Amino acid sequence: MNVKPSVLADGSIGLLALEGRFDAYEESQVRSWLDAEQAAGRSHLIIDLSGVNFIDSTALAALVRGMKLTREAEGDLLLCALRQPVRVIFELTRLDRVFPIFSDVDEAARHFDRSTATA
Amino acid sequence: MRIALVTTYPPGKGSLNEYAYHFVRALRAKPEVSEVVLLADELPAGEVYSDEPATDGVAALRIVPCWRFDGIGNPLGIVQTVRREKPDAVFFNIQFATFGGSKIPATLGLLTPLLLKLSGYRTVVLLHNIMETVDLQSAGYAGNRLVEWLMRAIGAVVTWLVLQADLVALTIPKYVEILRAKYRAENVLLAPHGSFDDEMEEPSFDLPDGPKQIMAFGKFGTYKKVEEMIEAVQLLIQRGSEPLEVVVAGTDSPNAAGYLAGVEEHYAHLDNLRFTGYVAEEDVPRIFQEAAVAVFPYTSTTGSSGVLHQAGDYGKAVVLPKIGDFAEVISEEGYTGEFFTPGDVESLADAIERILANSDYRKEMGMRNFHASRGLPIADVVDWYLIHLEGLPSR
Repeated sequence: MNVKPSVLADGSIGLLALEGRFDAYEESQVRSWLDAEQAAGRSHLIIDLSGVNFIDSTALAALVRGMKLTREAEGDLLLCALRQPVRVIFELTRLDRVFPIFSDVDEAARHFDRSTATA
Repeated sequence: MRIALVTTYPPGKGSLNEYAYHFVRALRAKPEVSEVVLLADELPAGEVYSDEPATDGVAALRIVPCWRFDGIGNPLGIVQTVRREKPDAVFFNIQFATFGGSKIPATLGLLTPLLLKLSGYRTVVLLHNIMETVDLQSAGYAGNRLVEWLMRAIGAVVTWLVLQADLVALTIPKYVEILRAKYRAENVLLAPHGSFDDEMEEPSFDLPDGPKQIMAFGKFGTYKKVEEMIEAVQLLIQRGSEPLEVVVAGTDSPNAAGYLAGVEEHYAHLDNLRFTGYVAEEDVPRIFQEAAVAVFPYTSTTGSSGVLHQAGDYGKAVVLPKIGDFAEVISEEGYTGEFFTPGDVESLADAIERILANSDYRKEMGMRNFHASRGLPIADVVDWYLIHLEGLPSR
């Protein structure tokens, strides 16, 4: 799995773009990124799943952990651009009703802008 | 948050007690949980549950026995206890025969989630099997096709009642799809079974001196029967195999009292057959670690196998029946094993032999199962439940 971390909005939003198979063998990269973002004090995070064609329960657990961490810090973890095989897994686990899911990175970033503005 | 959990629990010996033990251990470690109240089944005279106080980072555990296997007053007892305890939510760790081996108490018990929801409590059911995939005849619940048809009809009604809970979690994707399609249930979700040990070192694949142990673990007598395994091992010895010992680890199923005593009597002439009786939690690691092969002598399946996950935890090579559920578990969770045809002793002997004949193969299979079991610790599974719970409206 390819992992491309970056930051948006003057460094206030952490973005991770994933590509390939997101499973038990790869999830440690995402956990490491989450830990690094937490250490950097960023709690507004976006994961771009547009390049992910498979996701398993261990990977989902990593995302759930990320969501818990960010919400404990009064932030959130947003997901975007789920492909159909990945969306099916989210629907099966009902995690599509738990995570805020957006069509692309721009829409997710705008969500953070709006929530920051109304805070 | 105070969570009530309706379940069996050690030292109680009802089905799912081991799953409950590990689920509760993980639940108590969550910072959002302040107390866990177990609504457990009553123990035999002389046995008691042990409450545990809160410690640093671990919520208190209180156990209130308020129902009994085959009791018809279980819904009332549980509802009254919940009203007294006033938890923030009620979880159920159940399968269709949790509350009784007889139809009426089993059905009445499964009304409880609905009754609690109607009483204003958030209810989440972890349902370990579904009626649609249970082979009722093999499971010992039906004597003929008409009775089986009738039981399935009743089962459909009972399933519909269970589905009135706020959320119903299942451990196999197919189960979710079946319930969503048949009952149009939107509140059904997939939640992984989870592995029982959160921090586990890579297992040792060394075996103790003496005969290699061929082990089956569980509660026997309904759809788990050990005769074929015993016969298969004797067949291997006739073929000239190295010394082998059959280890039957566990007790009778609550629905098959006396089964293992009958087997022991029937095979009294064998000197390589050992019955451990009930395996206490602290003895489980040794039982698995000493086994060369873990056999699943099932004639049907009624859910994702906790025993398979335990076998994975301890890096065991496994022999599995060619039954749909197990094949799905293998493919979806990354496990691997040798398969046999239920009812065919030779097929079972061949499967065991393929593992025993090649130590490297046995270790490789054990390692793959270990990695599969490590996939998702039960602590992560508990996080899923708590997050789903947060999404439910308070009443």
